[in-house]
Order: sequence, then structure tokens, then C-alpha cells
Amino acid sequence: MTSNADRLVDDYLKRLDRELGDLPRQRRRELTEEIAGHIVEARADLPVENEAEIRNLLERLGEPADIAAESRERFGVRRRQAGVVEILALIGLLVGGVILPIIGWFVGLIFLWVSAAWTTRERLLGTLVVPGGLAPGLLLLMFGVYGEACTRVLQDGSLVSETCTEGSELLGLPGGIAIVLLLLAPLATTAFLALRLRCSAPVPYQPSPGSA
Amino acid sequence: MVDERQDALLAQMRRGTLQYCVLALLASEERYGFDLVRGLAGVDGMVTSEGTIYPLLSRLRRDGLVESTWQESPSGPPRRYYRATDAGRHALDEFKREWSRFRDAVDTLVEGRADT
Repeated sequence: MTSNADRLVDDYLKRLDRELGDLPRQRRRELTEEIAGHIVEARADLPVENEAEIRNLLERLGEPADIAAESRERFGVRRRQAGVVEILALIGLLVGGVILPIIGWFVGLIFLWVSAAWTTRERLLGTLVVPGGLAPGLLLLMFGVYGEACTRVLQDGSLVSETCTEGSELLGLPGGIAIVLLLLAPLATTAFLALRLRCSAPVPYQPSPGSA
Repeated sequence: MVDERQDALLAQMRRGTLQYCVLALLASEERYGFDLVRGLAGVDGMVTSEGTIYPLLSRLRRDGLVESTWQESPSGPPRRYYRATDAGRHALDEFKREWSRFRDAVDTLVEGRADT
């Protein structure tokens, strides 16, 4: 065994394990284990072991990304990797409407539906809870803090009296509850959608069962 | 352009039939992964990348068409041996019937025997 060959095999298995990240843990371990076993058998079968032979062997096995794509297809698993599209979707949905009123949220919405990382149900949740993201809640909050509604009584064109009510008074307790809900709901949705994406921390594989 | 389409078609056909080829190899005897992959790769045009057999084996195992047992190997770590279950053999028999009907139908049309 040459250390160079070991390194090639090790690299290959690490890449494979990372690519298999979308699969359930048990499947992922089984596949990595089986392919690691295949490599052991194939290496034992080589007339001479050198770097070129190992490269040939790994090439016959195929690209880890292809094996992972095949696995996802066989098990009907979605690719749930957090990419640029997914991150833009989450940012757009949450604060897009604050940064760029209305348009910003729609940008997030488009990315949400373009990405393959979420199911239709998850996308619907992202769309409906809450349209505009944090913007509606913040708008209502601003009104409560700074807003007021005034009634002016005019007689013969001149102001007779003006009564003003502060925004917070107008909103009252129901308004306050609405603000809290409108702010919490999009935060919760975004957190949920983010959690559905996979974090790519590798699961350590074991070359054979029983061995630690 | 035509070549690309043919490649895609071949890949589709291979994909659809590969699991039955695996079941056929595992119907009469048990084999471990490497041995099975060898058996498939030995037939020209059946397998393009060997590693993609393993997701299929895993799926067949989950579906109960194939079962596996660990056995000691004379050299190296233990091997997982695969064998077709009764359900697997049943699925294979059904496929064989459908396949020969289908093959005959295509042959008849492609080779122009339908006119005579």
C-alpha cells in the first residue's frame, strides 16, 4: 500500500460522503460503507498497485456527485443544499420588503419557488406566512409609535377644533398582539425553512461494521 | 444531436432494466457487492459507472426485493452478501414475461415483420 493511493481513496470517500449529505443518515452510512468495501476488494484484486491503477479504479466507480445524484433519485430525496438561491430567498422573504418595499419580498418569493430545495407545502408556507415578511409588522409598529389620527372640524373654512388620537391608542391591545404575531410569524417561517436545508457536516463513516 | 438523444435513450433503458438484471444475478446465488458489479460490468453496455449500482442495491433492499447478510471474507473485512428474496424473484418473473412480450413487439415493428 502506498500512501499516495491511500490518500486518493480517502479523498474520494470523503467527497462521496459529503455529496451524500441529502440522504437519511443510515442510507448515507450504508452507501459509503459499501463503496469503501468495493474499493478494498478492487484494490486487493489489482495485479500491481500504483497511483495510475487506483485512479482507474476510482474512475470506473464514477464521480461521487453522480453516485449521489443516482442515490437521491433512487430514494426520491431532494437536493437540499443551501446555495446562493436559497439564501437570497430567505433574506428576500424576511427583510426584502423592508429594504425595497414590496419588490424586495417578491424577489425573495421568486427565489423560493425557483429553488428545488423546498417542497410545495414548504413553499406555500413561505408565501403565506407572512406576505411581505417583516414589513407589515414593522409598518404597524411604526404607526403605533409615531402615528396619530386627527379629526378637524372646519366652519366657514376656518379651523374650529382638532382632536388627535395617538396610534398606540387606536391600535390598542388587539393591535399590539397583531404586531407581535406579524413580527414573530415570518421569523418562525424563515427559521423553519432554513432548518429544512441541510448543513453539510460530514457523518463519519466506518469502513466495516463492529470496528470503532 | 442524434447521438446525444440516443445516449439519453440508452441511459433510460439501462436505468429501467438494471434492477431486473441485478435481481437475475442474485436470484440463484448470493453475491457481495464487488462480485455483483463485476458480473454486471462483464456484460458490455450494462454499467457505465460501477458506483451507481450501490444506491440501486440499497433501494432494492429497502423494498424487500433483496436481502443481505454479513459474512467473513477469507481476506480483508467482512462482506455484505446479497440475495434475492421471494418477492424479488417474483418481480423478476413478472418482468421476464413482460420483457419478452415487449421485445417481440418492438422486434416485429422495427424489423418490418408487421407487414408480412
